[in-house]
Amino acid sequence: MRITIVNGEPEAHSDFDRYVGEVAESLRREGNTVRQFDLRDMDIRGCTGCWGCWVKTPGECVQSDDSAEIRRAVVNSDLALLAAPMRMGFTSALLKRMTDKLIPLVHPYITFEGGEMHHFKRYDRYQLMGLLMGADTDTDTEDIEITTEIWSRMARNMKTRLAFAAVADREAEEVARELTAVA
Amino acid sequence: MSSLLLLNGSPRGKSANTALLLAQIAQGWENVNEGEIETLHLTKSADFERATKTFGEADVVVLGMPLYTDGMPGLVMKFIEELAPYVGKDGNPTIGFLVQSGFNEALHSRHLERYLEKLARRLGCEYAGTIVKGGGEGLRQMPPSWTRKLFGRVQRLGESLAREGRFDAELLRDVAGTERFTRWQAFWVGLFTRTPIGRMYWNGQLKKNGAFADRWAAPYAKAAER
Repeated sequence: MRITIVNGEPEAHSDFDRYVGEVAESLRREGNTVRQFDLRDMDIRGCTGCWGCWVKTPGECVQSDDSAEIRRAVVNSDLALLAAPMRMGFTSALLKRMTDKLIPLVHPYITFEGGEMHHFKRYDRYQLMGLLMGADTDTDTEDIEITTEIWSRMARNMKTRLAFAAVADREAEEVARELTAVA
Repeated sequence: MSSLLLLNGSPRGKSANTALLLAQIAQGWENVNEGEIETLHLTKSADFERATKTFGEADVVVLGMPLYTDGMPGLVMKFIEELAPYVGKDGNPTIGFLVQSGFNEALHSRHLERYLEKLARRLGCEYAGTIVKGGGEGLRQMPPSWTRKLFGRVQRLGESLAREGRFDAELLRDVAGTERFTRWQAFWVGLFTRTPIGRMYWNGQLKKNGAFADRWAAPYAKAAER
């Protein structure tokens, strides 16, 4: 399976960063093709809400930065694993800045799904989504629940579903096995 | 008399629909309170820095934002990370929030609302509530007759904030509007959104940019690479 890891850890060599690396290695040992993006080393400019990706250059962000490479990898994989440490009860701003820029993957037109307004799809197929959270010293179960809930909603709006969500407190190999099973 | 700090977390800055709604809160506040009002736009780095420094000095803070992929915009999360030093401090301000989304139903914003309520608790701030407004895209382009009722309500929310230190619950429900469409509503609205009139907002802009024919472009699809 093709797995894209979007790593929103701002600090290189932190415990969580090492953990993400271990998960990636274990995933490879399980026979997956893994591509990892470390957002901290990339030029990702924040979404400005200009809607250029919908009305000027459909499907593509008008800013030329490294986000295009990530969008391409994400939509062409079987599973995109979003990984980030928790900060103030949510996954890092570094990760959110990038995922705001996944909006070109969907269409501005509205459709109804499950009685709710959602975007039209732009691609024939979408990858599954996974979430890996690194607990902070003050992280509690409510934070994990709220964060998982927001990312499930996001996955749904991005024409997919959150197939995996976990806190980085288990063996990396175990996480890799589970991910391989869902992807 | 107390001071109000309005923080505009929209990446569109001053020209944002969020800024327009925050201005209504300011208007309402002014009607009943003589305290100082300051508005800062988090897109501007000087404003962002000032907001992190003066957060603790205001009596009341309202942080407004558009819903971005079902959560806060990255810019707002960056700001929230900067608030870490205020956790558990004495004398933190009362805090309220405003979340507006393009989707019509309020339900899309409720998960973020839950996060924001927890954030207020985490900071040790009195929680004034969260204004949730669906269908907020294009507010700026609407004629005054379309927005009068909404703006009046948001102004009264500003008044209740100034008077009671929290947003009035009934007004919050009125502003939120439709929580979830009934099956019939979903059916009719669903049909409407597939008609040319229902798609006019986007089609008009696509045509203006000469991009209408490309509107279904899928630039990363495998077939497109050949």
